[in-house]
Amino acid sequence: MTHELPPRGTPDFVRPFVMTGGRTRAADTSLRMETMVQTVGEPRDDLNFEKARIVDECYEPISIAEIAAGLGVPLGVAMVIVGDLVDDGCLETTDPVEIELSTITRMIERVRAL
Amino acid sequence: MSGPFESTGSRGAWSASATRPPRPAGDHAGPRARRVSSVKLVVAGGFGVGKTTFVSAVSEIPPLTTEAAMTSESEQVDDASLVGAKTTTTVAMDFGRITVDDALVMYLFGTPGQERFAFMWDDLCDGALGAVVLADTRRLADSFVALDYFETRDTPFVVGVNHFPGSYHYPIPEVREALGVAPHIPVVDCDARNRQSVKIALVTLLQHVYELRRAALVP
Repeated sequence: MTHELPPRGTPDFVRPFVMTGGRTRAADTSLRMETMVQTVGEPRDDLNFEKARIVDECYEPISIAEIAAGLGVPLGVAMVIVGDLVDDGCLETTDPVEIELSTITRMIERVRAL
Repeated sequence: MSGPFESTGSRGAWSASATRPPRPAGDHAGPRARRVSSVKLVVAGGFGVGKTTFVSAVSEIPPLTTEAAMTSESEQVDDASLVGAKTTTTVAMDFGRITVDDALVMYLFGTPGQERFAFMWDDLCDGALGAVVLADTRRLADSFVALDYFETRDTPFVVGVNHFPGSYHYPIPEVREALGVAPHIPVVDCDARNRQSVKIALVTLLQHVYELRRAALVP
């Protein structure tokens, strides 16, 4: 992966874990890269940039990996921020479901129909 | 020399546009939020074997890239402190998405390019339903790390033999023998550039998972 980056020291460069207050682990360790996240509750205007952005983007459920890719931050950063937003009552995550045989059949039919 | 996270300025897809998406009108989410769950599949194999091509062949979105940071003990020792330095590496994973229906989304994650990152596959593979291991007949040994990994973890997997232009087309039984995979593991031809071929590989994996679960070989 190569990207054109703003040089260190320019105003565009922000160390990602600044957004997390230096924390690199989410309080909720059950979060995974594929965990689905959805905005809940009333709109809030007290959220900072990344948090507001995530809340705006998650009215349709998306995964933490998509949030990380959308914000351009490492997965670990996205997990910490999502964990905070869940604690704040702004987001809900979907617990992993037991995959039943009928679910696998649905997946097979879907892939065949692609 | 770049720091571990320097590649993560404001360059995400969302920052491309300055405008934030409009909030949906009316009652959004709330306690009646739609429950959508996800299933993860992993695409593994050696460097340059076609993992991202495989994902993009079936994904409903152009493959996205996410980065994960990992810390490992460096082999070098700082003379001043005599303490082993820690090195942080950022690895990139490409992934795609297939919406199954209103309640379920499948994600396809490619393992980080080089096999020396296999030590971080646990984060990637925890909770995965199954894996496709891509093999290149010109460099079969490159897929051994992935095969060993999924065999050890008891993660259901199938092997997709990716054919490259100009490479000799070995019959599947010969490839199977060279890879040394168990007889019950499906091995199929797979052209990662061909959507139909990738679909067949995915369906083969899902059927394999189905059979294993039905036989209660997988919890």
